[in-house]
Parts: sequence; C-alpha cells; structure tokens
Amino acid sequence: MFIRIESSSAVPIYRQIIDQIKYQIASGGLRVGDRLPSVRELARQLPVNQNTVLKAYDLLAREGLLNRRQGDGTFVEDAPPALKKSERIKQLSAVLAQVAAQAVHFEITPDQLHDLLDRQIKTLSQGDQHNE
Amino acid sequence: MSKSSSVISVSGLHKRFGKHQVLKSVNLDVPAGSIFGFLGLNGAGKTTLIRILLGLLKPNDGRCSVVDMNPQFDALEVRRRVGYMAENQTMYAWMRVEQIIGWVSRFYPDWDSEFADRLRQQMKLDADKKVGTLSKGQSSRLALLLALAHHPRVVILDDPTLGLDPIARRDFLRDVIGYLQAEGVTVFFSSHLLYEIEPICDRVAILHDGRIIKCAPVDELREQVKRVLLKPADAARLAEVPGVLDVESREGRWSVTVENIESARGPLAVIGSNSLSVVDLNLDEIFEAYVIGRREVVDV
Repeated sequence: MFIRIESSSAVPIYRQIIDQIKYQIASGGLRVGDRLPSVRELARQLPVNQNTVLKAYDLLAREGLLNRRQGDGTFVEDAPPALKKSERIKQLSAVLAQVAAQAVHFEITPDQLHDLLDRQIKTLSQGDQHNE
Repeated sequence: MSKSSSVISVSGLHKRFGKHQVLKSVNLDVPAGSIFGFLGLNGAGKTTLIRILLGLLKPNDGRCSVVDMNPQFDALEVRRRVGYMAENQTMYAWMRVEQIIGWVSRFYPDWDSEFADRLRQQMKLDADKKVGTLSKGQSSRLALLLALAHHPRVVILDDPTLGLDPIARRDFLRDVIGYLQAEGVTVFFSSHLLYEIEPICDRVAILHDGRIIKCAPVDELREQVKRVLLKPADAARLAEVPGVLDVESREGRWSVTVENIESARGPLAVIGSNSLSVVDLNLDEIFEAYVIGRREVVDV
C-alpha cells in the first residue's frame, strides 16, 4: 500500500491517510481481505505519529471499511457501509460545501464544476476496470 | 509538582540574562509517552528552557520537574535519566564509533551495551569508522544512539534535524517513531520548522517572545485555525471576534485569520453580512499567523 503525505497541505494527516485508503479501495488498488500494514509499520514508513495512523484506521473501521482483528491485523472489509444513507449524504455534503466555496472563490462556474466532478468519477471507475 | 502523568512539567518559569528577559512565565506539561513539539523562531528561548530542564542553567523564578525530579537540585540524576541530543552536537572527531560509545557509556549506570550494539548495527554505523568521517545523517544517528542506550524514559532533542538534508531528516524522524514512540519513550522535540515536526507530534507548543503563545494537539491547529475572506460592512465590530491572529485589508476586502473558526464564524458573519469564504491554511501560514500576525486592521 502506498500512502503519500503532503506536509504543507491544510488537510489533517489522519484525513489524508483516510482519503487515500478510501480512494484505493474505491479504485480497486486495495481489495476485500487485503491486509494493511500494522500501525507501527505505516507510522515508521511515512513517517508520522503512531496515534495518527491509529486514528485513521479506527475511523475507517467505524465506517465499516476496515476490520481490525485483535492481535491479527487490519484488513479491508467486505461489508455494507455502516452508516445510514442520510448520514453518508450529510458527511458528503460537508465536503461538497468546502468544494463549492472554493469553486466560487476560484471563479469556477457550476457547469465547469460538474464537468470536473464527472471526470473524477470516470477516473475512479477506469482504475477499477484496470484492476479487474 | 508531582503529576505522574506528566514527564516534564514547567510552571511560571522566568529566566533573565542581565536586562534581557528570555523566558517570561513559561508553563508546559508534557504527557508521558507523547511526542511533544517545541516550536519557536531561532532565538526564541528554546535552548535556554532545555538547559534549565537539564539543570545546566538556573531559572530566576518558577518551578520545573523532569521525571519527578527538580533539575535545580538533582541535576546529575536528571541527566542520567534523560536522553539528550544537543543542538549542533559536536563529538570527538578522532574517536572511532566504538570508542565514543564506550566513552559515553561510562557516564550512565543504566547503560545497556547489548542494546547499544544492536542499535549500531540497525543504524548501519561502522564500529571502526572515525567520528569525523561520518556524514551529517550518520552523526545524527550516532548522537541519537548515544541518547538512547541507557533506556531513558524521556528524550530531549534540541533542533536535531538542523542542517540535515531532506532524506537524512526523514530517516531521523523515522528513527524517532521506530525507536522512541514504539517503545513508549516521551520525546521533547524542539524545532524552528512547524511543517517538519508536525507529522510526528502529538502536541505542539509555540514559544514566542519568551512565552508559550499556543499549546494544542496538532490536528486542532489544522482544523480550527482558518483564514476568512469577507467584505466588511461594519468594521468597528472586529473587536467582538474572538481569537483574531491576523488581519489584512486589501481593496475593501478583509482577510482575517482566527484561532478557532467555530467560535469566530458567527461574529464574522455579522461583520461581513454573510459574505464569508473560509480558507484552509498550511502549517507555515498557521505558524506565521501566531508569531508575526497583526491583530488590527491596517491597509496594505
């Protein structure tokens, strides 16, 4: 598993780790049952604080994307999302609110924004096919 | 102070050199097992505080305790229990790696020779090499080894990555995670670069002009310190906004950096008649807002 930390970014590091693992699961880079590096290993590799990796793994486990088996390791989980759809929409809306504000700030029109979003979704599904 | 959960504890510490007040009532608590980033510009007083913690300098006022001892009275014992890596640490260039390890070991009753040897092999340090011929990265590893081999409960690192190239710096941070955090050792890590140490820290404290102006978990800094852009409708009400770190006015618009976006959002919305846009900041910008921010409106 490859994770890259952008240290000058405004996004907290645990968020960067979560986003990249989610991306890799969504694009097929990580598959159900794959074992993730241990907290110690990933922390040393990046290098970041162990508690940061722990926080990212715990939050992903709470969302049902990872399974943390005591003494055994952390695995990609094959489970329906643990969150209700209304909750998922709420969380996504919070991200989109930031995107929308940034778009207005950068003077990107709504049409351009929709195009950009479509393109990103297409990239994800291509990554998926590539891995089939 | 005998809070067993704090490994280093400082309260109301003052230090003067002649007329120059270097530390003005510094308070700090370093929780056991944490990696604590101690941040400040060059000359902010970081090394002065560290030298007080090690009993190498006496404060003019205030208290401090390190591993439940007072460095003013038990300086020798504190230095035996603590691992310390000095800023620009110089080592005898003519000694071989093995010799310097043997020489330093004699100062520590709890020195673990087997552990030192294992560390030396893991760190790929050649026992027969002269200290003077080591690269900067290798020297810093050796200094870390010398600070670790007596199994200290706390390690104080004074700007240890100063002068290292980016690759040696990353390797050094890896060693801090792998050899210290993984073993539950408390780390007090001073630096003048927030972005460099932030990824490995649990908490950071910013020392500026002799005072701790901020002490917080690192995620809190990124998530709460924000810049807000707005068109001010009622400029006089800026005083009502809590935690303003910096204000800039440009062509009738304001850029206001606040400590906590949640508590500042309401009052700012009133001033900007709801025309707010919130901008994320990177760590350099956050550090800058704290240490050189202007709290009043000045046209630029």
